[in-house]
Amino acid sequence: MIEIRKLSRSFGNLIAVDNLDLSVGNEIFGLLGPNGAGKSTTVMMLTTLLKPSSGNAKVCGYDIERDSKKVRSKISYVPQDMAVDRKLTGRENVLLYAKLYGIPNRNSKVEEVLEMMELSDRASDLVATYSGGMRRRLELAQALVHKPEVLFLDEPTLGLDVSGRKKIWEHIRMLKAEGMTIFMTTHYLEEAEKYCNRVAIIDKGRIAVVGTPENLISSIGKDASLNEVFLENVKTPEEQAGFNSTQFRNLLRRR
Amino acid sequence: MKAVFYYFERDLVKWLRGRLTVISSLVMPAAWLVFVGLALPTKFTDNYLEFITPGILVMTMLFSSLQGGSLMIFDKILGFLNKFLAMPSPRESMLYGKILFIGVRGLLQATVILLIATLLGVRILNPVHIFLIYLTLFLFSVFFSALSTTIGLYLSDHDSYSAVNSMISMPLFFTSSALMPYEVMPAWLRTLARLNPVSYAIDSTRMLFEGEIPVHGLIGLAIGAGIMVLLGTYQFRKAVV
Repeated sequence: MIEIRKLSRSFGNLIAVDNLDLSVGNEIFGLLGPNGAGKSTTVMMLTTLLKPSSGNAKVCGYDIERDSKKVRSKISYVPQDMAVDRKLTGRENVLLYAKLYGIPNRNSKVEEVLEMMELSDRASDLVATYSGGMRRRLELAQALVHKPEVLFLDEPTLGLDVSGRKKIWEHIRMLKAEGMTIFMTTHYLEEAEKYCNRVAIIDKGRIAVVGTPENLISSIGKDASLNEVFLENVKTPEEQAGFNSTQFRNLLRRR
Repeated sequence: MKAVFYYFERDLVKWLRGRLTVISSLVMPAAWLVFVGLALPTKFTDNYLEFITPGILVMTMLFSSLQGGSLMIFDKILGFLNKFLAMPSPRESMLYGKILFIGVRGLLQATVILLIATLLGVRILNPVHIFLIYLTLFLFSVFFSALSTTIGLYLSDHDSYSAVNSMISMPLFFTSSALMPYEVMPAWLRTLARLNPVSYAIDSTRMLFEGEIPVHGLIGLAIGAGIMVLLGTYQFRKAVV
């Protein structure tokens, strides 16, 4: 579904994404990495919001630069920001997307996705009254209204409580079961371990490792977790600068 | 092109639901008309209210068109822009939706001003002139809302936008022919007023109030609006990929 070939993007001197090679099939794919690793930049290039500096990528067989409009008709993108109109009702928010995508029989389709995201009983309320979890589900409903082949999610569970996160994941699994490809970024490694079919850890714009969570974990050792895989592959800026946490703690204690 | 209407509808419904913003946008021009038009003891003209009404109409369109750029900035800051850009509908339809909304909102304000002015004794015009007044104001609004929305696409900081906005809107207004006729202006101001695009709209509207048809003014405004829309379309199309 997604073929990435030597994709790079730099902002001035900063190389955000550096010769990325990756191929994603029909699966739940998690892109993991520290803040500033290039996750969002990668997603923005794949969703045609950002031009690559070099290299190319294909989504659903279409080139992201030459056939960007075709790509946009096959995908949905839910960014981190939780952008839903507070002064519109849940139903109106989804209806706007159905209209913009030009969906036939849009009213029944809107009800269908609201139902799917368990928002039917609150669909006539203004979004201002929704909880964070409901807003996120509303964004998913908007994204699903035109039956995309690939769904891009940037930090879909950020800032939600435990039950809200669980619900989002259940919905993501359900979408996968219906044949959708999900490409997501996240900071919650336990969740990625549990729900993603494959993950890639990127650091400074390069892929450090890629594989199924099980394989990555067993390569580290028994009883390990994705957290340890992550720490093994990602150097924090503090470590790079020679930061010694023991020394720092002693310093604090002395004062 | 249906997308234009859907984007327009979104902004309109959101605006109408914020009751305070609706009321404040209607009160401000009415206050100008009453407190400046009726109260200022000027000797410029026989009937100052009649003189200043076109100025207030254009001022209202100018301010609300320039302020309309913040709609785009908020869409950008809050993440709506990225979601809309990732959709297959033509990107410039976002721009046209904003232009349409800002124009319609301005014309609603203008209607309130026209009604109050009529109540205060400004001559009632025939339907053709009323239509041409609306057309003039709309073309004028298209020029400035296309400009402000395109600027909004490139800025991501609302504070600096409103700073720039108030820096250009007030001087544009005060150096126009809104408040006084050319004859009583100091020479330096007269030169500025003749060059000011805001004066074009005001002089055209004023001619319409006097029962004449400002052919040159209308053509000039249409060309200006057309150029601004083309520039904006180009910028929206090339917005990222």
